[in-house]
Amino acid sequence: MSRTATAANALSALNFGLTPVFLTNDLELLTRLKAYLSRKTGRDVQLIQRRTYEEITALLLSGQLDGAWICGYPFAQFRQQLSLIAVPVWRGKPLYQSYLIAPKGRVATSIEDLKGDIHAFSDPNSNSGYLVTASLLAERKLRPDQFFRQTIFTYGHRNVVRAVASGLAQSGSVDGYVWEVMSSLEPELTAKTEIVAVSELLGFPPVACLRTQRLSEAVELLHKALIEMSEDDEGRHVLNMLKLDGFADEPETLFDTIAAKMMLVRGLGS
Amino acid sequence: MSGANPVSRLNPMTWPLSFKVPLLVAVLMFTVSAIITNRVLARLEENQEQHLQQLASAYLDGLSASLIPSVFRGDVWEVFDTLDRSRERYRGLNVRWTIVTNAEGKILAASDPAKFPSDTVAEKEVLAHFTAGREVILNEDKATAFLLRPLPYQDREIGKIYAEADIGALLQERSDVLRTLLLTNLLLTFVLAIVGYLAVLRMMRPVRIMSLHLDQASQGKINLIPDSIVMRQSSEFRRLFGRYNVLSQAVNEREFLAVQLAEEEKVASLGRLASGMAHEINNPLGGMFNALDALKKHGTREQVRATSIRLLEHGLTGIRDLVRSTLASYRADQRPRDLTMVDLDDLRLLVKPEAKRKRLNLEWTNEITEAVHVPAVPVRDAVLNLLLNACASSAEDGSVKFHARIESGALVVDVSDQGGGLPAHIREYLERNGAGSVPLDKRSGLGLWIVKRLCDEMNGKLIVVKSSASGTTIRLVVQPKLAELEDAA
Repeated sequence: MSRTATAANALSALNFGLTPVFLTNDLELLTRLKAYLSRKTGRDVQLIQRRTYEEITALLLSGQLDGAWICGYPFAQFRQQLSLIAVPVWRGKPLYQSYLIAPKGRVATSIEDLKGDIHAFSDPNSNSGYLVTASLLAERKLRPDQFFRQTIFTYGHRNVVRAVASGLAQSGSVDGYVWEVMSSLEPELTAKTEIVAVSELLGFPPVACLRTQRLSEAVELLHKALIEMSEDDEGRHVLNMLKLDGFADEPETLFDTIAAKMMLVRGLGS
Repeated sequence: MSGANPVSRLNPMTWPLSFKVPLLVAVLMFTVSAIITNRVLARLEENQEQHLQQLASAYLDGLSASLIPSVFRGDVWEVFDTLDRSRERYRGLNVRWTIVTNAEGKILAASDPAKFPSDTVAEKEVLAHFTAGREVILNEDKATAFLLRPLPYQDREIGKIYAEADIGALLQERSDVLRTLLLTNLLLTFVLAIVGYLAVLRMMRPVRIMSLHLDQASQGKINLIPDSIVMRQSSEFRRLFGRYNVLSQAVNEREFLAVQLAEEEKVASLGRLASGMAHEINNPLGGMFNALDALKKHGTREQVRATSIRLLEHGLTGIRDLVRSTLASYRADQRPRDLTMVDLDDLRLLVKPEAKRKRLNLEWTNEITEAVHVPAVPVRDAVLNLLLNACASSAEDGSVKFHARIESGALVVDVSDQGGGLPAHIREYLERNGAGSVPLDKRSGLGLWIVKRLCDEMNGKLIVVKSSASGTTIRLVVQPKLAELEDAA
């Protein structure tokens, strides 16, 4: 293949990053999402996956991705460099919660009851899977390693549920949206866990791009495809699999609460 | 014989072939199947252990390769995730649980975190089953395999994998194989024993046919084996049956000839008897004719007349007695009747001419006083033949003894001569039960055969009491008929 042709292909390809924020283990979902985005944008869409939030965020910040479905925490961290493309709408709102979960049958009603546990986090850059719990402890002037006996990162909200359900961890911090979707798709797994505490409503993990690229053709195509997803049969099928209502334009202030939590944790010097 | 003693029944040499051969087949099958079962199980055990070793090694190889980086980093989740996923990949091993410890011996993660929590030390009882240096330890009593693999990293041990696998399925498979083998072998042995029994029964059929014919022959009835049966046999038995038929034919012909000879002997005996009688009548006749001549010439003389009449009367009386006893012996319409003293005494008259001819001294003792419940005619015939035979055997001027009596209710008659004794084969012939169905050899004449046959008919017994160069005594013993015994009882 000639260098010119390669360059043309590279221009035409649209790279879309995915974090383990949602159920990335579903191949059918990925195939359908890719097919929808490719058709809707008229470009060859590549879905880029990495194990950690940090890797995807780094790719996005370095300009290797046209857009990425990241978490509210990285968005808050890099708010100056990043811009919102769209925010998913779940149960009618662009909001979700973080859950503190424990094995079924455990008597615990607040984070205080989880002291001394082996605690499972999702990712150190996850809002619901780390920041929310860390900020709760920060309010008590505590870092997670001071409150819990041991913390483990599972790099996936589903893995947090697995760790708690199997007894590997005595408690865990998980994305409330993922836990709810799992409870309808894998009820036998979530049934082994129970919710100890629920956070306030927070901005749903958004689709973001480099602020400098917000008005580029590729980002605009992505924006249009996401916003119109609920009006398209194939798009609705993908939304249905994700248990989402659609994507919407939301103000960046939606993530102020997360930014505040971040500041709280940083203030403790974690 | 139905009355075989119990000891001989216990002796396997005396068991019938139709039982011994299937038993031998069954014993052989049992032995072979026991050896095969033993070998199969030993091989199966070897294979299973080898298979388990390979499977365990593959499991530990796969795990350690994935686990070493995670154990090195102390990444609890990665260790757990690896163990959790390996469950699906190594289903064949049926692992109950796996523990991964770090260099300090603390549990990093286990496949069953509820049982073996992370950041704790595994209980000593759990680890007691594992031995350093032995990767796989089998404990069949607990149906468990214990797996141990150290995790090396740059020549240092950074942790260990402990696993416990359920080998119940392997043991079950082994016991299933054992059961199947036993059942199959038992069934095969049973079927082969039956087949062996039937085969031997079939093979023995010609022997049974032969045995049946020989039994019949021993009872005096020699039947040929029909050609249709002979032709159905294998070559060996066809030849045997053929030879038997040739032999039977020869025996039948011999018996026919013997009967003919007996008839001739009868005629000859009759001739001898007639000649004896003629001689016996002729002797007084000479005297009687002389008396008649004297009467004719000197009948007027009182003394001559009286002497002549006495001589005539004496001669006629002798003739009358002779005729009477002959009639008694050879009456055509003889019916079975009991023996009396007279029946035996009459014989004296019949033998007398022969005794006289050889100038033999006839010593006659008859102790029979009342009728004996034995058939008169055959006894008389038998005793007459014994007496004639004794006369024939004795040298001239010798003596022949007759002694009849009752002993223990049975008629006993001894006839003794002063001959040269009986040859051994004749003695054996006379004393053997049922021998009367076959005639004696030609040289010995037919007299003794007739005696033996008559004796057999009466269920009597002949005993050679004495047989030496100085003479022979033959005893005839005839038991009274059964009715008599019952009456006596």
